[in-house]
Amino acid sequence: MSVFEIFGAAVALAGAVIFAIGLIRLILATQHRPYQTELAPTKGSPAQGVLYAFTLGMAPWAKESARRHWVAYIRGIIVHVSIFAAAAFLIASPWLAQMPSPLRISLVALFTIGAVLGLAGFGIRLSDPTMRLLSTPDDYFSLALVTLFLASGAASAARIEFLPAFWAISGITMAYTPFGKMKHFLYFFYERVFIGLFFGRRGVLVWRHE
Amino acid sequence: MNSTAEIEQSKLTTAREMLGNLVDRRVLTALDACVRCGICTESCHYYQSNPRTEHTPYYRAEMLRRLYRRFFDPIGRVFPQWVGAKEATDEMLSKLAEMAFSSCTLCQRCTFACPFGVETAEIMRIMRAIATATGNAPEMLVELANLAIDKGENAELFRDIYLDQVKELEKEVQDCLGSSKARIPVGEKGARMLYVPLAGAHTIVPQAILFNAAKESWTLGLFESSNYAVFLADGAKSKRIAERVTKEAEQLKAEELIITECGHGYTTMRWEAPKWFGGHLPFRVRSILEVLDEYVREGRLHLDSSRNIEPTTYHDSCNLGRKGGIFEEPRRVIRAAASDYRELTPNRLDSYCCGAGSGLVAVPEWADIRMQAGKLKAEQIQRTGASLVITSCDNCRQQIGDLSEHYGLNVETSSVSELAVKALT
Repeated sequence: MSVFEIFGAAVALAGAVIFAIGLIRLILATQHRPYQTELAPTKGSPAQGVLYAFTLGMAPWAKESARRHWVAYIRGIIVHVSIFAAAAFLIASPWLAQMPSPLRISLVALFTIGAVLGLAGFGIRLSDPTMRLLSTPDDYFSLALVTLFLASGAASAARIEFLPAFWAISGITMAYTPFGKMKHFLYFFYERVFIGLFFGRRGVLVWRHE
Repeated sequence: MNSTAEIEQSKLTTAREMLGNLVDRRVLTALDACVRCGICTESCHYYQSNPRTEHTPYYRAEMLRRLYRRFFDPIGRVFPQWVGAKEATDEMLSKLAEMAFSSCTLCQRCTFACPFGVETAEIMRIMRAIATATGNAPEMLVELANLAIDKGENAELFRDIYLDQVKELEKEVQDCLGSSKARIPVGEKGARMLYVPLAGAHTIVPQAILFNAAKESWTLGLFESSNYAVFLADGAKSKRIAERVTKEAEQLKAEELIITECGHGYTTMRWEAPKWFGGHLPFRVRSILEVLDEYVREGRLHLDSSRNIEPTTYHDSCNLGRKGGIFEEPRRVIRAAASDYRELTPNRLDSYCCGAGSGLVAVPEWADIRMQAGKLKAEQIQRTGASLVITSCDNCRQQIGDLSEHYGLNVETSSVSELAVKALT
């Protein structure tokens, strides 16, 4: 292993450890908060509500805001699919040399598109007066990390020499995730479960109205 | 006497303590999930009617988030500027209070627009609770809540007057049904249903006519369903106001508690009250809308839709619909009672608030705000071409009546019960 590879791997491992500790702390802190169980007799099904929240509740035909902001909706989906794919690629990256060429080319394309769309996030955030007003340094830093993560993923999928850089950037990204805005990746699941339980129980989330 | 500085300090301490205590798992999630993407922006009727930054849901919620991060977020405590955390000041608390009470009706429409489902209304509720605890809540709402508690504690003082008034109303019921046997029983033990009205004959007479027509075993409650402490997010007072009704139902051994056409009154008793009283209530809680729907479906009420031929539409109350799951019940009754029914667009889960919810209608100095916030609803109504707007919440009804006058809509408003009475055969 070269010095760069050792450095990159060390940063990635350290980042993974910080990520794991930070994530556990975040989950414990959240679970430590009280949760008020609904006690009224149900009108609908909480379980079906959760299912709805993770399926139809996110579909563009059921979500007015997705139809209205369809560009942002598609951008969001592509960026997040790229991130999850890049996370899987990170785990598999020690065996990059053995990866079939068509797969690597596909990953390059996906990560490049993700990185470009990540970069576009700066423009979107800066061009909207309300978003600009409410954005914090944390927002821009998180966006920059994710964009770099995807860009370095694309570069290393294309050329194995970039792998140490990808590992190092991944380590920094992982280490920062539980502390900044990127912790929303955890709260997304919490929030969808909560609204599914709450509104499902009340019979609000019905699959089809009369 | 405390100095101004001491009072301010005490308010800030209270705010911090309340923020620490009231942020449960759901609220914490709502605070931490938002990525400030702005997709919720147009979901808000305030923004649609007056597109300003302060009217976006994420701006409002962000104001509390910044305070929360300063106190409780590890990064916010050490590097406040990095995450936009802000130090609490008395001025900030006043601004938060005004925003929580006059710029958000807690309608929860933005929750369904958000890709995450962030519950901004829950954040605003915390803001209301802090405002109430620090003396920044609207005086009118505080007085109305206190009056309701006083009424519960001194029921005997008004009982006889109330009974006399109801006797008068009973004559109207008898005239309408052409039967001297029709009654408005009050506080009658053994009745199957305890019906909880609002202050006003329009929530007693039509329902009494329908109960009598359906040959229901029922009795009228002494107290009204409204609970202004809920708007203040004051849990202790909310419970005391609700307790007046739950005690009455228990004393009368009623099997069911039927809430009149009142949005927050229904949500409070049906969904919130069991939490305050530690579990299931010893009676079933339903809305009068569910009862009327049942009567129509079971053939206990016979309605003739040809008696209401004017173009009619229905406004979904946020509390009954989006927060209570009552979408189809009123529609089935209206379709049975009116021949030209038209839907507002959008409706049901996507329905816009009328602009007066969560106590806004009760504060006279906010009349201009609610007229502006209701602009979208006025336009929606106009597009249907309806001349009659049915709504099953008294707040919405007053607001739509005011909107009609303000925007020259020339529409009448009515409740589902009143419409059903007109169609009764």
